[in-house]
Amino acid sequence: MMDCTEVRRALLADPRDITAEMAAHRDTCHDCAQFAQQLLRFEGRLERALRVETPDVPVRHVRPAMGRVFEHRGWLAIAASVLIAVVVAGSLWLAVPGPSLAADVVTHMAGEPEAWQTTDVPVPGSDLSTVLDESHLSLKPDVGVVSYAQSCQFRGHHVPHLVVQTAAGPVTVMVLVHEPVRAATQFDENGYRGVIVPVAGHGSLAVLARGEATDPKMVEEVAARVENSIIWN
Amino acid sequence: MKEQVGGNRKRARFQALCQSMRPDLLRFAFWLSRDRALAEDVVQESMIRAWKAQDSLLDEAAAKPWFLTIIRREFARTFERKRFPTVDVDELVAAEDPLLAAAQDQDLAELRAALFKLPLEYREPLVLQVLMGYSTAEIARELDLSNAAALTRLFRARKRLRALCGEDTRLDPEE
Repeated sequence: MMDCTEVRRALLADPRDITAEMAAHRDTCHDCAQFAQQLLRFEGRLERALRVETPDVPVRHVRPAMGRVFEHRGWLAIAASVLIAVVVAGSLWLAVPGPSLAADVVTHMAGEPEAWQTTDVPVPGSDLSTVLDESHLSLKPDVGVVSYAQSCQFRGHHVPHLVVQTAAGPVTVMVLVHEPVRAATQFDENGYRGVIVPVAGHGSLAVLARGEATDPKMVEEVAARVENSIIWN
Repeated sequence: MKEQVGGNRKRARFQALCQSMRPDLLRFAFWLSRDRALAEDVVQESMIRAWKAQDSLLDEAAAKPWFLTIIRREFARTFERKRFPTVDVDELVAAEDPLLAAAQDQDLAELRAALFKLPLEYREPLVLQVLMGYSTAEIARELDLSNAAALTRLFRARKRLRALCGEDTRLDPEE
């Protein structure tokens, strides 16, 4: 049985990696439960602090620079083109804090309110395929009615933004191949409730629904269903 | 002709990979170097090295650790070459102050300044874990440490960082 010191040492090393033994201790120890809470709050701030803004260099700026690298045409040319890209795009780097992944997902929702319609009409299969093909994945039919599918720009990548219809209403799924997370994280922000779950080797899935009445268990079930339905090509 | 098409496709694929990795690589290099300009140089140089060594990347899914290893080596090489003078951390913070100052969030700015003060041996595993999503075993492998040593560094990193930030550390265990 772990004692308080062991549990707190382990929590300080990784506050999100809580073993069954640690959880059992925490559930019966008020101080360790308080300590775990404190650390999780600190961890959220730490993640935001580390995620400094980076220059969003457009492809047209990077491509000539990389092209020259690939063609071995000379170091001065490489340096000059990269410098231009850096000067153009770099001035804003670090100017503002980067929001958390959950906050970015929620912010993205505001841009596509039409996605939240309750309907039993699925998006045309060809539209869905186009979106999924772009990210090299497909979906098994058992995922349910997908009523919305868009390939959205998110943190510098095109990601599938899907809406799955459930008995409790529409649920949004974003397939975030480029956003690995270590553990499932629930969030409740600006009227959206959801979860971000890790997908081994394929980043993460963000799954969320609107409204205070959203049952977190329902969201987790949809997340599990979608994860099982994805075929990674 | 076929070879050229294949080469173009390979080039485009690698370029896309570089671009998708770039934000995280810049962040990682920044927290290693604590210097925006140096981070950009290191990432730029690393991408050139990555292109030359791309045949050693057998699986694109492993691209992130592959790039990070190149960046760490490039960072070490840069320090060997330039032999930077020892700097006062407060001066370093002041130098990056306009960039570190998180608009509308003094709390984050203070946390970033505290991260600047954390020694590299603690800062690096913390960044790998929190920002890059590395497990303890992956951190240990990357930094050539035992699992226990990696855990100790992560424990000390958070403990010191919390103290630097003025957090309530009464419940923290002793080192």
